[in-house]
Amino acid sequence: MSKGKIAIIGIGEVPTQRNPNRTHWDIIYDTCMEAVKDSGLHKNDIEGVVSVTPQAQGKIAAELSFGKLPEELGLKGCKDTVSCNAGGASTSNCLRLAEEWVTTGLAKAVIVQHVTLHSTIPLAEQINFFAKAGVDLQWEYPFGPTYNIIMGLMANYFMHKNGYTPEEMASVVTALRSWANRDPNSMLYGKEVPSVEKVLGSGMLNTPLHKSEANLLGDGGCAMVVVSAEDAKAMKRPAAYKLSDSVRYFSGTCVMRDFDQVAEGFRVTCKEALAQAGITKEDVSLWNCYLAYPLVHPMAAEWLGVAPPGQGGKYFLQGRMSFGGDIPWSTIGDAPGRGHTGSGVSAASYVETARQLMGKAGERQVKNCKYVFQNTAGGSGFNNIASIWGKEI
Amino acid sequence: MEMDTKKPVPETQPWSEKFWEGTKEGKLLIQNCKDCKSVIFYPRKFCPECWSGNLDWKEASGKAKVMTFSTAYAAVEPKFMDELPYTVAYVDLEEGVRMMTRIVECKPEDVQFGMDVEVVFHEREGFFLPYFKPAKK
Repeated sequence: MSKGKIAIIGIGEVPTQRNPNRTHWDIIYDTCMEAVKDSGLHKNDIEGVVSVTPQAQGKIAAELSFGKLPEELGLKGCKDTVSCNAGGASTSNCLRLAEEWVTTGLAKAVIVQHVTLHSTIPLAEQINFFAKAGVDLQWEYPFGPTYNIIMGLMANYFMHKNGYTPEEMASVVTALRSWANRDPNSMLYGKEVPSVEKVLGSGMLNTPLHKSEANLLGDGGCAMVVVSAEDAKAMKRPAAYKLSDSVRYFSGTCVMRDFDQVAEGFRVTCKEALAQAGITKEDVSLWNCYLAYPLVHPMAAEWLGVAPPGQGGKYFLQGRMSFGGDIPWSTIGDAPGRGHTGSGVSAASYVETARQLMGKAGERQVKNCKYVFQNTAGGSGFNNIASIWGKEI
Repeated sequence: MEMDTKKPVPETQPWSEKFWEGTKEGKLLIQNCKDCKSVIFYPRKFCPECWSGNLDWKEASGKAKVMTFSTAYAAVEPKFMDELPYTVAYVDLEEGVRMMTRIVECKPEDVQFGMDVEVVFHEREGFFLPYFKPAKK
């Protein structure tokens, strides 16, 4: 059990955009330096670096895996560095590594960072990568699925089972984009928030997914500085304390995934995370869900007990999860609002969790933000990780 | 890098070759564990339930029900563009296992949850992919 062992004390992030003129290292410099400055530490206080291994970007993945970052940034006190990937659950695992290093005394302060540049990956390579990633090459890929189709299979099942209407599903985009519209780090910052009618009129990609319900690929990066909870407390600076961590594995291939087991996995991990943190769902100030596709949000709202059974879609349609609603939810707008940065949307979600608990979220700041529920999920949904983060320990 | 327009064939494992050999004869073979009696799909080297290597094959009836589906109209890989619209589905076989497949010989708007379907094999470069079509009543 991990309650109260680590805290995030510094964050750095660059706006998500498609900008091939910005290199991986441009972004790494900006995010890591900003995070260290935000933490109040000196660069040489950083004793460990944990990177999310960027998918489909072989050169930077190799450079990070083989230890270039501490040298490039002149982190003279660094004792070790590593990179790791578990799809969308990568950042949760990077934070676990940081926790291991901090709690065993290997490092007093650790940078956890992510960078992705989709715009420099040739289009053909991008299409091929996302068609194969998380899809079995023998039992699934020959039938022509895509990520959109995998999500369509799940969404269609739950629309049929739970009776969600297309309007309810489309309203999730409106909700997520209402947050993104106010997030300077979003690709859709300041852009029109589409109405339900506009989402439904955007053309069908694959049933029940409309064009506006799919993700825009973007470039981005962010970094966090992690120290022990005791050190964070002693520093008397704004911090986000990790209070719990619960996870369930579902399946590696899409077809082997039992949707009802996924639902139960969300319920159980949420229950365990809340119990471990010693709070109830009524104490949660923000449900910062990373689900990648809008279609999953109404189900998740029910699985987490935020909406009663059968009411998840209605809650979104009523605007309860939108900016100004009574249930703060995915305040960067998840991947559909932020722009999809591969394994990096979960990193951006954690930065947002810390930002909210530190009181630095500007227009999107959740009032009296004390506890944040944060989940991540990897691949096409092979697992779910639930955690609670708190303003204080 | 040019767009890859070659349609994919299954990337097999030594222990799954029997399955694909069966499809050439119009048979849908399902692996069974002789020790714990588990019905196994997709095929494994060892039984995922008891780790026995004492595995066998039985021909399935080819009958199934549509568990869920999604019909693609756009945004698929270039290699599949010529097949649009097409319906990808999960089907539950009578033998109790689930497969990803295509629903064919049926208008997309006529595909239904729980619909009875039966296997029909479609050839692609020497492989016979198990697709499913509406079952004869």
